[in-house]
Amino acid sequence: MAAPPTRPLPVADDLSRPFWEAARQHRLVVQRCQACGYFNHPPRSACDACLSPQLCFEPVSGRGTIYSFTVMHQPAVAGFAEQLPYLNILVELDEQPLLFMVSDLPIGEREKVRIGARVEVCFEEIDATLTLPQFRVV
Amino acid sequence: MGALTDKYCIVGVGETPHMRPSNRTTFSMACEAVKKAMADAGLEPREIDGMTSYQAGDSTSSSHVATALGIRLNYSLDIVGGGSSTEALVAHAIGLLEAGYCKVIVIFRSMNGRSGRRMGGQAPSGPVPPVRAEGDAQFYMHWGWTSPAQWFGMSAMRYLRDTGTTTKAFAEVAVAHRYHASLNPKAIMRTPITIEDHQRSRWVVKPFRLLDCCLETDVAAALIVTSRERAYDLRQPPVFIMGGTARTMAPNSAWNYSRPEIHYVAGNYGRNRLFGMAGISHKDIDLISCYDAFTFTTLIQLEAYGFCGKGEAGEFVKGGRLQIDHELPCNLSGGHLSEGYTHGISMVIENVRQLRHRVDDACPGWAEGKHTYDRAAGCRQVKHARIAACLGWGTETTSSSLILRGISA
Ligand SMILES: [Zn+2]
Repeated sequence: MAAPPTRPLPVADDLSRPFWEAARQHRLVVQRCQACGYFNHPPRSACDACLSPQLCFEPVSGRGTIYSFTVMHQPAVAGFAEQLPYLNILVELDEQPLLFMVSDLPIGEREKVRIGARVEVCFEEIDATLTLPQFRVV
Repeated sequence: MGALTDKYCIVGVGETPHMRPSNRTTFSMACEAVKKAMADAGLEPREIDGMTSYQAGDSTSSSHVATALGIRLNYSLDIVGGGSSTEALVAHAIGLLEAGYCKVIVIFRSMNGRSGRRMGGQAPSGPVPPVRAEGDAQFYMHWGWTSPAQWFGMSAMRYLRDTGTTTKAFAEVAVAHRYHASLNPKAIMRTPITIEDHQRSRWVVKPFRLLDCCLETDVAAALIVTSRERAYDLRQPPVFIMGGTARTMAPNSAWNYSRPEIHYVAGNYGRNRLFGMAGISHKDIDLISCYDAFTFTTLIQLEAYGFCGKGEAGEFVKGGRLQIDHELPCNLSGGHLSEGYTHGISMVIENVRQLRHRVDDACPGWAEGKHTYDRAAGCRQVKHARIAACLGWGTETTSSSLILRGISA
């Protein structure tokens, strides 16, 4: 499904490029500290836990739990007006406590939202160059 | 008594009306607010030699305003910031005064927060046009997760779940601040509301209803800081700065909530410094301002600054505790929820007026400090207003504060 052309889209940078390249291949990777094993997301130039600059991207399970959510009722951002009200979830990945990713929930899954619900990653292909890791309730 | 006690004072305050829209420039509004603050203090332009402001790329500059008012500055600085900037700039002013960089400093905020840059996420004409989501935002903006209501809402939703608090606690905050606004002729929203009104109001971003969200207004406001020696010569009873914190941070300032505990917001790291510097304890506080971008931000900061225990704010605010004539009157002007939105400076200004015992309410003698304490007749002066705490909020990870003392009451 092509996204509405007006939606804000991510711009990869030096730190994040491996994340987006993996997503295009339908793989979820998170930056991990090679010194202490801590996962950092969003990617950092130094580990949030130990400040080591030795950071590599590693595959993660793509499984997690809904830690919190919001339901947006305001047409604040172009590209989302026709989806109102829409859900955003904060996913706590299984790999580490408080390792969070933000997602929405696919249309049709929105009734299933609750804190504690189990989710897994899926991938929304926007175009040939961009795929967004998204989560759905399992 | 603490190290700072009685050395520096807030001596002048002033603001434009809260407008929607102003049809004015931030420059014109800032000039009005600064002039009013000077008149309030009884200061001439030539007596001012420092000026600072905070803004989000949406406002005029100190140098521009000073020049137009005939003020020659020995110090000027305009910083980037929103909530939590006022208290931080007061701390900054104290450092400048202490070191002798200047003698009398104006701090202002001027914003077309409704007709210009809206913090709530919308443009004046409707949805914000798409932007390139760069930096950390590349991981969330494409899901339409772009506004403070959504960011703080994520914390709030989890807070409700973890503590068993219900949104009726949010309602208590909204009702208290609105009640105070009903006693404030300057406030935009003056019709009292009930818990039920709050619970019936429409969702903006669940868990926040309309009555959980601050107003967006066009306004400028200013205050003036100087030494005690200078303050004694001026028009108003001085309000002494007892202590404060300036943009205290949580260990990780990112949006990603990756903190030791999600509800352990920045104020927790500042509260011992605040009360230690002031040399007082919570029971000495007669009234507070507590940043109400949303009802939830007031609630969580009551815990952060130690007015109640962790997870207890919902119970704490029950039964109108934050209302005037109750235990801990909060946001006496109506706050950002009901008076208007200034990124925090108006709350400090209200506390200054309260501590002078000269709140600008319906009492005919307010300017001379004569109040009736008759709420039905529109008096909003706190009866024994001696010490006030100002609890500023930037985000979950940034907070500033002040404790102020008056000489009246
Ligand atoms: Zn590490």
